[in-house]
Amino acid sequence: MAELLQILVSGLSAGAIYALAAVGFTLLWQASQTINFAQGEFVMLPAFFVLAGMTIFGLPLWAAILTAMVLSLLILGAMFKKLIVEPMLPHGTLPLVIATIALGLLMKESVKEFYSAQGQPFPTLFPQHVLDFFGASISVQDICNLIVAFAAIISLQLFLGRTRTGRAMQATAQDPRVAEILGVDVKRMVMYTFLINGALAAIASILISPVYLAKFSNGETLGMIAFIAAIVGGFNQIKGALVGGLLIGVIDNVAAVYISAEYRAAIPLILLIVIIMVRPQGIMGTSEGRTV
Amino acid sequence: MQANTVLSVQDINKHFGPIRAVNGVTFEVEKGEILGLIGPNGSGKSTLFNCILGQLTPTSGGVQINGKSVAGAQAHELSKMGVGRTFQQLSVFPEMTVIENIIMAGQEHHGTMLTRLFGKSDAGLTGEAEKMIEFFRLGHLRDEKAGALSYGQQKLLDAAMAFMAGPEIVLLDEPAGGVNLTMLQYLKERLITYNREHGTTFVVIEHNMEFVMSLCTRIIVLAEGQIIAEGAPEDIRSNQQVIDAYLGG
Repeated sequence: MAELLQILVSGLSAGAIYALAAVGFTLLWQASQTINFAQGEFVMLPAFFVLAGMTIFGLPLWAAILTAMVLSLLILGAMFKKLIVEPMLPHGTLPLVIATIALGLLMKESVKEFYSAQGQPFPTLFPQHVLDFFGASISVQDICNLIVAFAAIISLQLFLGRTRTGRAMQATAQDPRVAEILGVDVKRMVMYTFLINGALAAIASILISPVYLAKFSNGETLGMIAFIAAIVGGFNQIKGALVGGLLIGVIDNVAAVYISAEYRAAIPLILLIVIIMVRPQGIMGTSEGRTV
Repeated sequence: MQANTVLSVQDINKHFGPIRAVNGVTFEVEKGEILGLIGPNGSGKSTLFNCILGQLTPTSGGVQINGKSVAGAQAHELSKMGVGRTFQQLSVFPEMTVIENIIMAGQEHHGTMLTRLFGKSDAGLTGEAEKMIEFFRLGHLRDEKAGALSYGQQKLLDAAMAFMAGPEIVLLDEPAGGVNLTMLQYLKERLITYNREHGTTFVVIEHNMEFVMSLCTRIIVLAEGQIIAEGAPEDIRSNQQVIDAYLGG
């Protein structure tokens, strides 16, 4: 029982970080029909902004994190939209998908070439203590990661649901043509979405890198998990991406202990296949019709 | 252009290669008028509508709203210039409730970027939105998701949304399309009442002759991209040129 509790907390902690990436994935799809296959690399890169800030420019951790956040908003948010999405999207979703795959490769290889091919230790933001909870060893870092990731997602939900800008963003996601005739500056709302995705990627990166080290190849797994989490939860729902992320985090950890550590990577893919066969709109998603 | 002219369309031409979809159309719409724009299929009504709304760039000619040119204006800018519109297809947000849809329709016309982020989420519009819902007798559906409403109810919501920002002129694209007879009578009565109470100007594209003849105060008939007749509904109904155009004569 104590072991299961330990695994559950650890799984929820990892899952909450996956959910951050999956929520970003979902937001981009809703706002602009962008399927970002570089999302994993988006989560990999900000950790290197932090490391570069600290090692090359001698910044303290807090300043390096702040700088990484700003760079993520600029590069992963605004520049990604302006330089990749805007020129490619008029040609259809598939060319954009291919462009994001190429972008992911470029980011991965650039980090390998210009920073390091080795996994880099990343400073942790939280104490490394372990708490004893009914016999289970619960890491304070896991609990803090869970709290920060949940706080980020709840803040996002409050922003989207309780502010006028958030409602305009929702309107843009549901029908940009109608939103525009009602006076919504649709281009600006889509830009906000890309900036939010950049911020979510940076938060996920800073939370996950102390656990897995900062490595150029981290995006391969993270991108795949974010994609699966978004589909499993429901591609058109933020809460779906949250549920999908948490579910995969827990299943991954449970499978590693109780089924097979070697085959743990296959479990999310099996879940994806089952969901596509049984409930293609995802656990929380709704069916969508499109005229072609 | 007269002092109370709201919309002025000046010698609009729109060519697609050799096809002259709109060919030298000029007209003005006075404040408080309900103008019908009719014509057989392919007569250029929708193209003209899209030129007026900036969704197509005319080959030549200009459009002015309250004396200001709207050339190059984007849809959200037109909305802020007092132009509302509805589409042939439903224009509601299906995942939002009726009240949220109505508030959404008005919120972009109030406040600044800061108040949008930190001000009241309803932009102080709940009271006004409830009045609008009552006006279109959708009060019992206030908290229902728009996507769960019947087609006719969504058309009423669509119209209510077009008026929420207090536009000076509303362009209605086939408001009667797909609406049953009872709902149609009701929609027409509401539009006429709104027009009388607020003096809002309407331009209506419509295929339903009964609807357009009983709603509009003046009608312009297009055929092959040109105006072939203009006048009161009773004059248009008996105009031989119009009858020939509709019968393909």
